Amino acid sequence: MSVADAQATVTIVPASTAPLVSRDSASSYWLIAPAVIFMSLFLVIPILMIVYVSFWTQTTFKIEAKLTLDSWQTFFASDTYITSLFTTVRIWLIVLVTTFVVGYPTALFVGLFVRNKTLQTALLVMCVIPFWTSFLIRVLAWRPMLGKEGAINIILQGLGIIQQPIEALLFTELSVIIGMTQIYVVFMVGPIAFMLGRIDPSLIEAARDLGADFWRILRKIIFPLSLPGVVVGAIFVSVMVLGEFATSAALSGRKVNLLGNIIVTQVGSLKWALASVVGVILTVIMGLVVAGLLRIVDLKKEL
Amino acid sequence: MTVPLHRDALGVARCFGNLHNSQRLRSPYIGALDALAGKMAVEAAIFSLDGVVKRYGAHTALDSITFSIKNNEYVSLLGPSGSGKTVLLRTIAGFEAPDAGTVHVGNHDKTRVPAHLRAIGFVFQNFALFPHLSVFDNVAFGLRYGIMPIAEDAVRERTLKMLDLVGLTGLGERGVTQISGGQKQRVALARTLVTEPKLVLLDEPLGALDANLRTRMRIELRRIREQLGVTFLHVTGSETEALAMGDRVIVLDQGRIAQIAKSDDVYNRPASANVARFLNRYNVFDGVLEGDRFTSPYGQFGFGHRVPDRRSAYAIRYDRLAARASDGPQNGGATLEAGYVASEYLGSAVVHFFEAKGGKVIEVEHHLSNGPPAKYVAGARYVLAWKPDDAIVFG
Repeated sequence: MSVADAQATVTIVPASTAPLVSRDSASSYWLIAPAVIFMSLFLVIPILMIVYVSFWTQTTFKIEAKLTLDSWQTFFASDTYITSLFTTVRIWLIVLVTTFVVGYPTALFVGLFVRNKTLQTALLVMCVIPFWTSFLIRVLAWRPMLGKEGAINIILQGLGIIQQPIEALLFTELSVIIGMTQIYVVFMVGPIAFMLGRIDPSLIEAARDLGADFWRILRKIIFPLSLPGVVVGAIFVSVMVLGEFATSAALSGRKVNLLGNIIVTQVGSLKWALASVVGVILTVIMGLVVAGLLRIVDLKKEL
Repeated sequence: MTVPLHRDALGVARCFGNLHNSQRLRSPYIGALDALAGKMAVEAAIFSLDGVVKRYGAHTALDSITFSIKNNEYVSLLGPSGSGKTVLLRTIAGFEAPDAGTVHVGNHDKTRVPAHLRAIGFVFQNFALFPHLSVFDNVAFGLRYGIMPIAEDAVRERTLKMLDLVGLTGLGERGVTQISGGQKQRVALARTLVTEPKLVLLDEPLGALDANLRTRMRIELRRIREQLGVTFLHVTGSETEALAMGDRVIVLDQGRIAQIAKSDDVYNRPASANVARFLNRYNVFDGVLEGDRFTSPYGQFGFGHRVPDRRSAYAIRYDRLAARASDGPQNGGATLEAGYVASEYLGSAVVHFFEAKGGKVIEVEHHLSNGPPAKYVAGARYVLAWKPDDAIVFG
């Protein structure tokens, strides 16, 4: 969701307060029929299918619809899989924090300190410019940046700050975190900047007039009022990071295995049942994360 | 009078006072000086602006504004939209920096002091309540997070006392989105007053309320202010509000002060033709002033007194005019001929609208205590007459 979309929605809402037809007219339900049919066919049924397949019996060469808990036991009995579950959760939490730490001040600048709406939009569009290149190129571009003979090491050595190249930069968890932060921070900036842009400037002036300094105003007025944006941004980042596999594959040198990487490997070797188990576990984690985040704020009140 | 002058006078008076005590001199002058020192301590300006200028590009929003406000005074600031009222208030509060001039609170130069350290209260036109906080937390904000945060039980005590004072007893736990417009206004006021500022700036505080509530809040504002003894500077675009509320009225015209006076002085003796226009109680004619005759496109008129002004104009109050049939007896005085358009009933009075030459609308107010209003025929010509002594001429 871009900020421009969200703003358009907000301006349209008051105009449509008078419905053309009565709200409870049965014919109005036909309007959502295409979406319901599409989502049922391509979302609801596949998810139920994944749950079903996770209980199928998998042998080396074939899979049959005989219900068993074997794949589930394989997953929870394996150190590799459990480790990757914890790695996924750890990287998700770290990236959530880094995107917030990098994204919030940016959003604060764009949404609150830039009062010119045109400039605000221009700056937000600039945040999206990296998305004009393909996802894979954006990820792979970090290799010549972070590598042993990459740009960062060359510059630091050239400046005489370090003598030996830092090898920990690439093919480690750090490089995965750096890559993910860069890719997903914009999803944090957008919703927060949008919420901050809606704060009435006179609220901040009122708080200043009552004697509060900048940090107190930030803590007690600005942050609470931008919290819905933080939650929406966190949901975007969480859902995308939890399902990630490409960044870790490209930047960790196979050292960081997320649940997403396991799904890719299992599907690649046609182990559908185990891939489904991981898929179900990921879906449940995402569901819990989104439900938990939504408890922080009442988003209905903000729309 | 500026602050340093007050201070010096006070110092001199005190010196004389000491002299009088030690040397047992009994001079009538010294007694008078003592009295003067006492009076000045009470009436010393708690706030003054000196030559404040604010420009936006080529536009001068405030042009050398100089005035001072005494302790425990209610001053209203009247001006049409675009006259610089809000800019002036924001400059005083510290949200805008003046290009020239100084802002003093008491004896302290606050011109370069940031807004949150000025201890000047500001009540916003749209209330600017913090939407995520309850009524209580809104009011307590300045005590908790202000320059000098105080203990939580003291916060509680002062906040509850303030809620009682503004008539919000028992509403502390409500959200600020769950209360009425009048209650929001009270929260905004309480939130500012609880921090005990010396000066409170009110930016069209009643503008967002409906008429009925506005009248009630006027009385409330005065009561609360008198109870606390704090100084109010109340900005308004409504002439009736300015006259009703202020001990003194400052009239702002295109970034300059047009008049500072008591309400009845502003009303009866406007200092310029524009002030007369803002009051919305005067028919103002443009024209040429020669000696003791004023020539307007509607005829030559005599006048009672003259006020120096850059441009010539002639003003006669709505209720000083009378309309009569054009063929009736003429008995001197100033007259002009106009066609009747319509009337408007105001309850205690009726305003008749007439149209003079060139489409100029002239209002004639008839107080119903002087008997029922005359019946006029739409489109018919009438003679509007008044005593020249009632008229003011500018120029």
